Amino acid sequence: MTQTAPDRAPAALDEPRAAARRPRRRRLRDRATPYVLLAPATVVLGLVLGYPLVRLLVISMQDYGLRALFTGVTPWTGFSNYAQIFTGGQFGGVLLRTLLFCAALVGGTLLIGLLVALMLGAAGKRMRTAVTICLICAWAVPTTAATLVWQWLFEPGYGVINWMLTKLTVFGDLTQHDWFASSFSAFAVIWLLVVWQSVPFVALTLRAGLSQIPSSYYETAAISGAGAWTSFRIVTLQFLRPILLLVTILSVVWDFNVFNQIWILTQGGPDGGTTTLGIWSFTRAFSSESFGQGAAIAVVSVAMLLVLTAYYVRRLVRAGEQW
Amino acid sequence: MKPRSRRVTVNAAATLFCVVWIFPVYWMVNTAFKPYGDILRPTPRFIPVPLSLGNFADALGKPFFGDYLRNSLIATGAAVVGGAILALLAAVALTRFRFFGRRAFLIAVLAVQMIPSPALVIPIFLSLKSANLLNTLLGLSLTYIGFVLPFTIWTLRGFLHGVPVELEEAAMVDGAGRVTVIRRILLPLVAPGIIASSVFAFITAWNDYLFAYVEMKDQSHYTLPVWLVSFSTSTGTDYGGLIAASTLFALPVILFFLVIQRRLVEGMTSGAVKD
Amino acid sequence: MVWTKRRTLDFTKGQMSSFRPTEFRPRFPYALEATVHQRSTLGIRKLPLLAGVLALAAVGVSGCGGSSGSSTPAAAKRSSTLSVWYMDGDLSSQDQAAIGAAFTAATGAKVNVQIQEWANINTKLSTALAQNDPPDVVEIGNTDVPLFAATGALADLTPEKPALEQGQSWLPGLSGPATVSGHLYAAPLFAGDRAVIYNKKLWAKAGITSVPTSYAELTADLDKIKTANPSPDFSAFYFPGQYWYGALQFVWDAGGQLATESGSTWSGALASPAAQQGLATWKTFQNTYSTAASRNVDTKSPDQAALFAQGKAATILDTSLNTVLKDNPALKGEIGTFPFPGRAAGTSQPVFLGGSDLAIAAKSPNQALAEQYLKAATSIAVQTADIVGVDGWTPVSTQLITRTSSTLSETSKAFAQAASRSVATPATPGWATIESDASINQFFAAIATGTQSPQQAAQSFDSHLDQALNATP
Repeated sequence: MTQTAPDRAPAALDEPRAAARRPRRRRLRDRATPYVLLAPATVVLGLVLGYPLVRLLVISMQDYGLRALFTGVTPWTGFSNYAQIFTGGQFGGVLLRTLLFCAALVGGTLLIGLLVALMLGAAGKRMRTAVTICLICAWAVPTTAATLVWQWLFEPGYGVINWMLTKLTVFGDLTQHDWFASSFSAFAVIWLLVVWQSVPFVALTLRAGLSQIPSSYYETAAISGAGAWTSFRIVTLQFLRPILLLVTILSVVWDFNVFNQIWILTQGGPDGGTTTLGIWSFTRAFSSESFGQGAAIAVVSVAMLLVLTAYYVRRLVRAGEQW
Repeated sequence: MKPRSRRVTVNAAATLFCVVWIFPVYWMVNTAFKPYGDILRPTPRFIPVPLSLGNFADALGKPFFGDYLRNSLIATGAAVVGGAILALLAAVALTRFRFFGRRAFLIAVLAVQMIPSPALVIPIFLSLKSANLLNTLLGLSLTYIGFVLPFTIWTLRGFLHGVPVELEEAAMVDGAGRVTVIRRILLPLVAPGIIASSVFAFITAWNDYLFAYVEMKDQSHYTLPVWLVSFSTSTGTDYGGLIAASTLFALPVILFFLVIQRRLVEGMTSGAVKD
Repeated sequence: MVWTKRRTLDFTKGQMSSFRPTEFRPRFPYALEATVHQRSTLGIRKLPLLAGVLALAAVGVSGCGGSSGSSTPAAAKRSSTLSVWYMDGDLSSQDQAAIGAAFTAATGAKVNVQIQEWANINTKLSTALAQNDPPDVVEIGNTDVPLFAATGALADLTPEKPALEQGQSWLPGLSGPATVSGHLYAAPLFAGDRAVIYNKKLWAKAGITSVPTSYAELTADLDKIKTANPSPDFSAFYFPGQYWYGALQFVWDAGGQLATESGSTWSGALASPAAQQGLATWKTFQNTYSTAASRNVDTKSPDQAALFAQGKAATILDTSLNTVLKDNPALKGEIGTFPFPGRAAGTSQPVFLGGSDLAIAAKSPNQALAEQYLKAATSIAVQTADIVGVDGWTPVSTQLITRTSSTLSETSKAFAQAASRSVATPATPGWATIESDASINQFFAAIATGTQSPQQAAQSFDSHLDQALNATP
C-alpha cells in the first residue's frame, strides 16, 4: 500500500508559493522516507547482527582459534570446518537428538498451552487471575535461577521431588535416585524445566486468540448437533490456526536453540547423551577454542531452522505483499 | 456435563495447576528465607521457620552491587525504550511503504533471529572492537537493542498491519506530518504490541550474562547477572546468597509483568493474528 | 479474506467488530493537528535526528558511566597505574593489598585491582587479551595457562626467570604448565591441593584411634565406619563419581598417567595397565564407601561440604575446611585432616596441584612495571606472610613449604604435606578443552556407575585426549 499524497494543499496557514513547492519536495521526501525511517534500526542491526553474521560466516571458513584472535592471522580453510563436522561421526547423533528434543518441547508446550488456554476460558474470574499470576511468575523467573532451583528439586539425596515421590510409596524409595544418570531421564527433567517456562507465553497467546471467537459459532455448532470434540475441531481449531502457526514457529526457533538449561544441568552428558547442536557448537567454540568449527555448527543450525520454518516464512512474506 | 459441575471440575483443575506451576517459585522463595545451614536437608522444610534474612544480607552485601544494579537498569531501559522506538520506525517503513529491499530486509530480520547467541560472542566482540564501543554501556545497550529488534519489528509489523491506513491518510489530509501521525495515531494503537515486545526486551537484556561479561573490562561496568555468578567461587558456592540473589533478581521482572499484565493479554491477540 | 479484515480493530475493543473508518475515534482530534503541522513541516528531516536522540537519550547517562574504554584505538600509553585481574575467591583482599603494598614500595606505582568471575573466564580472558589495551597482569588458573601461553597472548618471561624465582625451586605443578617449548610465560602465585578431611567424632565412635598412614589402613578404618553406620544415605567416604581431581590421584598412585608426550605428540595413556589398575581400585573404593546416589554427580550438586557438615559423610577429600565450617560452625575443633595415603606405606597419593599463576599480557605497555609486580607476588616475604600466613594456601616452592610448615595450623599441615607429591596436568593448550567440555567428568562417572568398564571408557577417552591435546590452538 503506497502512501497517498494529499491532492489539496493543507490548511490555511501556508503561503501559496510554499504550497506550490511542497508537492515536489514531498514526493522526494516521501521516496526517501522509508529509508530514513529504517535507517536507525538498520545501523544498530548492522553493527550488532549484520556485520557479526558476515563475520560468523567468514570465521566458519577459517581456522580461527585463539592464535587468530591474538595475532590476527586467520588461515583460510574453505569448507574444511564443515567437512569435519559432517564426517566426524558425531553429527548424526547430535542432529537427531536436537530434532527429537525440539519436537518433544514444541509438542508438549503447545499441547499443555492449549489445554491451559481452554481452562482459562472455562474458569471463573478469580481462578483465571490466579492461574495467570502463576503463569507469569513462572515466565518471569530468570532462566539461570530457574535452572538452579530445578537442580535442587531433583538432587539425589536432597531433592524435594525425590522426597515427595518416596512419600507416595508407589515408586519405592527414590531419595537417592539420580535423574541425570541416563540421557532419557535427564532430557525429561530438562523438558519439564523448559516447558514450565514456555507454556505461559503460549497459553496467554492462545487464550487471547480463543477470546476472539464469537460464541455464536459455538451455538450454531451445538444447534447442529455437534459434540464437544467436533465443535472444537470445526470452530476452535479453525479460528486458532493463524495464531497456532505463529506460536509453533516461534516455539520451534526458541526450542531448537535451547542452551543454558541443558548446559547447567548436564553439560551435554551423561557421556554426550544430551548434546544438542547448541551445546556442540558451544563446546567446540569455547572448550576447544576452535571458533571456526563452532561457527560452522552455528551456521548449519541456522540453515536447519530456516528449512524447518520455510513454509511459514514464505506465507509471511507473501502476506506482506497484499499491501 | 452440567454447567455447574463443569465449573467445579474446571476450578479444581485450575487449582491443581496453580499449585504445581507455582511450586518451583515457592521453593525458591522458601529456600531464600531459610538460615544457611538449613538449605540442604534430607527432610525438606516447607515453611521457612525460623525466618532468616541472612541470605539476603549476604546477597546485597556483595561489592559493586549498586553499580551492577545501576548498569543493569540503564542497559535494560535502553534496550526496552530504544528497541521500541527503532522498531516502531522500522515497522512503519516496512508496512506503509513499498521500496526496494523491503522483502530482503524482512527475510534477513527473520533469519538473524535464529542464530544461537553463544555463536555471536566473538563476532560481536570483533564488531564492537572496531567501533570502539567495548567497555561502554552504550556498546552493551546497542547489543541488547540489536538482539531485541528482530522480534520487536516482526511483532509491531503484525500490529501495524491491523491499523487501517485510512486513519493515517485522513490525518495527513487534515494536515498532520508523519511524525505527528506516528506519535499521535499509531503509537496509541500499537501500544499493546509495544508492551508485549518490551517485556521480551526486558527479559533479554536483564538476564544476559555472557555478553555483558565479555564486553566490559572494569568491575564497575558489569551488570546484575555477574552478581549472580559471583556466589560460586573457587572456595565453594554460597547457596544461600545465590538463591536469595536469584529471588531478588527475578523480582523486577515479575513486578514488571504484573503491572502490564492486562495490556499484555490484549496485546497478544491482535498482533498475533495478522500474518 | 473477509474474516481477516474484520479482525483489524480487535486491539481497541478486545472483540471483533466491523470495520468502518468513521466509527473509529482517535484519541486526539484532528483540529489540533493543524496547528502542529506548521511546526512539523521539517518533521521528516528531523526524524532521524529525533530517533537518534530518543534512542540514545536513554543511554546518554551511560556516557558518564562507561566512557573510559573508548581510548585511542592505537596501543595504550604507559601509565603509572598497573591494572591487575584476580579471580574471585582465590586471594583475599587483604592478600591482594599486601602484594600491592610491596609493589608500590618498590616502584612507587599504584595498582588497580579488578575481580573476575570464573564462569566463562577463558572467553573473557581471550577477548580481554586480544584488545589493544589489555589488563597488564592477569591471574590465570594454572591449568589454563598453556592455552594462552602457546597462542601468543602472554609475554615471554624467560629472561626474568632467575629474578622471579629468587633462588627457589617452583612446584612443577605450577611452573610446568607455564613453560611452553622451554619458554616461561607466567609466574606461580599460589597452590592448592586436596587432603582428606574427617569427622573426628564419627571416626572415634567407630573405634578408630589413629590416622591411617597406608591405603590398607584407610580401607580398614572405612570398613569399620561403614559397619557402624549402615544407613544407605550415609557415606564412610563421600566421593562423587564425577570428582576427577580426586579420582586421578588413584591413577597416579598406581603409576599411571593421563597422557604421555613423545616428541611433540601427546597420547592418552589411561588404557595402560598401571592406569587401569588405578581406575579399578578407584571404582571399588567409590562404589564401596560412597552412596549409590553419588556415582554420577559432582561435588557441587549435592554439595559435598554440606553433606559432611550435616554428618551424612564421615570423610571427604577437599581443598579446604572453609565451606564445611561455614555450613556448620559447630564442627570447629572436631575436624581433622591427613593426606590421602598411597599404596606404599609411608607415602601419600600424588595430588592434582591446583592454583594460579600470574601472567603479563603481551600487548601491555607496562611490561617492566608488571614484572616488578610479579616479583613482589613471588617474593619470599609475601609468600610467607600473606599467601600462607593470611590465606592459608600452599606457597609456590618446596623450600617455602618446608619453611612455613611449622607456622601452619594443625589442620592445614596435611595440605602442605600432600603438595610435596604433586603431578602437573599436560602442559598443552588442549588441556583446557578437557577441563571445560566436561568429558573427563563423564569419563569417571561412566566408570563409577558401571555404564562402561574402565577399559572401554579409557579407550574412548584416550582417543578424545589424543585429538584434543594435540589440537593446535
